[in-house]
Amino acid sequence: MLSRTADHLYWMARYTERAENLARMLDVNCRMTLLRQEEDVVRRRWTSTLATVGQLEPFLAARGTVSQSAAIDWISFERSNPGSIEQCLDRARENAHAVRGTLTSETWETLNSTWLEIRGFRRDTVSAQALANFFEWVKFRSHLARGVIQGTMLHDDALDFTWLGTYLERADNTARILDARFEMLAEDAANSDDAGDYYEWSALLRSVSAFEIYRKVYRDLITPRRVAELLILRESMPRALRHCMSRVHQVLVKVANDRSTETLRRAGEIDASLQYGRIDDMLATGLRRYLSHFLSRTGDLGTRIASDFLVSDATG
Amino acid sequence: MLLHIRHETLYRYDRPAKHSVQSLRLTPRTETGQRVLAWNLTAPGRQSQQIDAHGNLMHLLTLDEPHEEIHITVAGAVETEEVTDSAPADRGRLSPLVYVPDTELTHADEALLEFAARHGVKQPGRNEVMRLAHAIRDSMDYVSGATEVSDTAARAFSLGRGVCQDHAHVMIACCRALGVPARYVSGYLLTGRDDHIASHAWVDVWLAEPERWFAIDVTNGVPGSVQHCRLAVGRDYLDACPVRGVRRGGGAETMSAKVEVSGDGLQRRPATPRPRLLQQHAAQQ
Amino acid sequence: MNEIFNEMYADGDTVRTHYSPYSDWLAATAPDRIREKLVEADALFRRAGITFAVYGDETGTERLIPFDIVPRIIPAAEWEFLQRGLRQRVTALNAFLHDVYHDQEILRAGRIPAEQVLCNVQYRPEMQGIDVPMDVYAHIAGIDLVRAGAGEYYVLEDNLRVPSGVSYMLEDRKAMMRLFPELFARYNVAPVEHYPDLLLETLRSVAPAGVRDPTVVLLTPGAHNSAYFEHAFLAQQMGIELVEGQDLFVDDEIVYMRTTQGPRRVDVIYRRIDDDFIDPLAFRPDSMLGVPGLLTAYRAGRVTISNAVGTGIADDKSTYPYVPEMIRFYLGEEPVLANVPTWILRRPEDLAYVLGHLDELVVKEVHGAGGYGMLIGPRASRAEIEEFRTRIVADPARYIAQPTLALSSCPTFVDSGLAPRHVDLRPFVLSGRDVVMVPGGLTRVALREGSLVVNSSQGGGTKDTWILAC
Repeated sequence: MLSRTADHLYWMARYTERAENLARMLDVNCRMTLLRQEEDVVRRRWTSTLATVGQLEPFLAARGTVSQSAAIDWISFERSNPGSIEQCLDRARENAHAVRGTLTSETWETLNSTWLEIRGFRRDTVSAQALANFFEWVKFRSHLARGVIQGTMLHDDALDFTWLGTYLERADNTARILDARFEMLAEDAANSDDAGDYYEWSALLRSVSAFEIYRKVYRDLITPRRVAELLILRESMPRALRHCMSRVHQVLVKVANDRSTETLRRAGEIDASLQYGRIDDMLATGLRRYLSHFLSRTGDLGTRIASDFLVSDATG
Repeated sequence: MLLHIRHETLYRYDRPAKHSVQSLRLTPRTETGQRVLAWNLTAPGRQSQQIDAHGNLMHLLTLDEPHEEIHITVAGAVETEEVTDSAPADRGRLSPLVYVPDTELTHADEALLEFAARHGVKQPGRNEVMRLAHAIRDSMDYVSGATEVSDTAARAFSLGRGVCQDHAHVMIACCRALGVPARYVSGYLLTGRDDHIASHAWVDVWLAEPERWFAIDVTNGVPGSVQHCRLAVGRDYLDACPVRGVRRGGGAETMSAKVEVSGDGLQRRPATPRPRLLQQHAAQQ
Repeated sequence: MNEIFNEMYADGDTVRTHYSPYSDWLAATAPDRIREKLVEADALFRRAGITFAVYGDETGTERLIPFDIVPRIIPAAEWEFLQRGLRQRVTALNAFLHDVYHDQEILRAGRIPAEQVLCNVQYRPEMQGIDVPMDVYAHIAGIDLVRAGAGEYYVLEDNLRVPSGVSYMLEDRKAMMRLFPELFARYNVAPVEHYPDLLLETLRSVAPAGVRDPTVVLLTPGAHNSAYFEHAFLAQQMGIELVEGQDLFVDDEIVYMRTTQGPRRVDVIYRRIDDDFIDPLAFRPDSMLGVPGLLTAYRAGRVTISNAVGTGIADDKSTYPYVPEMIRFYLGEEPVLANVPTWILRRPEDLAYVLGHLDELVVKEVHGAGGYGMLIGPRASRAEIEEFRTRIVADPARYIAQPTLALSSCPTFVDSGLAPRHVDLRPFVLSGRDVVMVPGGLTRVALREGSLVVNSSQGGGTKDTWILAC
């Protein structure tokens, strides 16, 4: 298929997935601030969140100081912020539009109506319930998009590149969420209390739809070690790094071309390291160090995929 | 006269360019009045060559790998001789009528139409062509940097300043306004001075009697001569310019060029090139 | 020529024979049912996304081209005649294109003034002496036909660059068959559905010599082009890639497309981009819609561009009056289809006549696009006529003049019910190894009462065109 077509499908999927993960991240933060109201903790949490999604600097430049409502508005609706949920959905739809002929009409209509409907959410309503509804809506639009793609599109290389975008983005996002949590954990270690910790961890699990899964898998107390294991190494957990990278690897095997040998090797290496990795080793060397290494490796993979398969000059 | 020519052009990019395509018109024409004794073109990437619509030898250069510069060198020897009525310039494959309709760069506005009506004639001989050229030279000072490479004849004329490209476009505009075929010529000029033009542009005008192309160097107010080496002709600068290119990526571009022309084995000092003429039409996607 | 020919009725209220089954059906069908069908038709087109001017406005909604449910019916014998004339005309136009880009015999014979062709900006010097496969230039021709007072056909215009509209011909038929299956039981309508197959066959037949299994692509300016729907539709129907300029590149005179499996060679480019924009190294340098170096590959014969570069010289308004002469010169035949009588104002006697009758005539600037540079005498004010007179006198060669034609009309559903509206007809003629066409075309209808403007951008709609099989 045309590289440009693959490029649009890949980014359509990435932006859809990114919008969903942003909503998840905001959702968990909002839940947590219902619990702990100290102002500096709240500010620190939002500062950390902005940093996690790579938007702290532009935010400070545009808005000055960090507050909960400003951060939520910035990440959710700000049009001048290319990383906001609104802009992600806009770009997902724009990419879909460019390859409309490759999509089923259901897929196109789903992405188009998501784009139309987001205008119905008023950015000045800040009630907790309204925000929760909004985040819920974003997640469900993403579920719908994935379902429509899975259920209506021809299972050919167009779909391969769509999944490639989905899983690479998801791996990146899960790693960032974990990283942010472990950062807070390290800083809070001195003054943590068990009850607060419990809520932190359960909120984190909920943010990646893993709370019930955790219960089912471990039938035990929530511990950071198990959470890390679940979200990093568990093959059957759909948002776990291992699950995502295993899919990325499989797709790359399928679409391999003359230029992609090295890319495929690196994806295989990441996949294998997750397959045979042990959580204790990761904790021993430092989980945050592990995650930041992981993020740089998936970032590198993204660049290589772009130059091997896609329109490599997308960045100018 | 035997002309020794060496011409180097170097494009550099801020960031690696991902894909470049350039058309090079950097090989002297083989035609009455000049004979290419030796010519060598060195450039990166793959090149194919073709005779273009106007009878120029064009190289198409493709670079599909990331690159930070493009270095093009041509060098060789060309023997020139006087073109006369008894040994007139080649007519070429195209009808001279093709050089009558105006182009964007050579469109005559009100001022040029008026000027053409005053100084030109509908069926010119050599003398009328010379007179028109002198009139243009008198109304347009040679000022390097006064105009942009993309400026039209009308704009340069309204400024009253320009370089050889502008002189040529104004001359072409005046001729065409009167229905006289005229075409752009790009080439090299042996000057013997280091402060003047080496990479140059002038004009061919179609004479009514006898019917033939007559070369006129408007900037210097002289007919084409054995000191002129012709690279390419066309309807305007865009058809005949030495390098025309498109690239993706690369950021900002800097260009430098060096042209050396010497005659009859007598070595001249390198002439100061005029980078403008060789500027690449860079476009980014 | 001011009497209007009605496609359905003769002498005011007598139904023409080929319309009588339709007329009977109409009489037997409740008006409410027709209304329902109108709503259904609208939904059908919206769902299929048959639109133009895609995404102009903020909401992402698209405009539909109005579709009228009354078919335009043409009897078999009449189509036979049209087909003969179209084939003849397109053959001559292609012969003319080959000639002007080679030996220019028609110019040397003085049948067309040399400056008429060579001083025209539509003449592309880049094509001089270049051979194209099968000597065919206009592989796809859309010939606009109109009928005047007594029902006689005239060619109004030849479209040989990037003619559009064929997707509406196909979608209109699909809609009619969905909405009114019972009508197709009453009529033996010749099929048009195989047009994409014929088009692909034509494009493959003009691949560069020696290419056994040619790769054909459709080159579009992109999703923001008003005809993008048609580009996507045709590419999908033919099963070929829909590419943009950035998807293609030229290396060593060969054109490749960038695919996820690496570069893949392209042999035939069905381009829906004008000459000026297809190669920034050869034509407009500021255009990024095209492919740098494409013209070089084309001139080397390594790729076929369809339609060929430079066909504009044959469909230019200033060339149009000479088409009957081309038919005589190249084919030794008399034209089957008539031109609209045209005065060429570079001829002194024509000029004198036109200046004396400006209030009756339509004067067109030969390089003017759309309605710009046009005088419609009967509708112009005194001052407008005088202003135009000055312009004509200043440069007569820029103008041609024609009588104001009364286009035929066809019953059409409008808000007030069934009413006559003016129509034209654009059949599509394909030229490759053979000259072929599907029995049909695009009927455009001017929906405003009295209007003669059938363009979709100015309130025009379309109708299904039924050619009756014998």
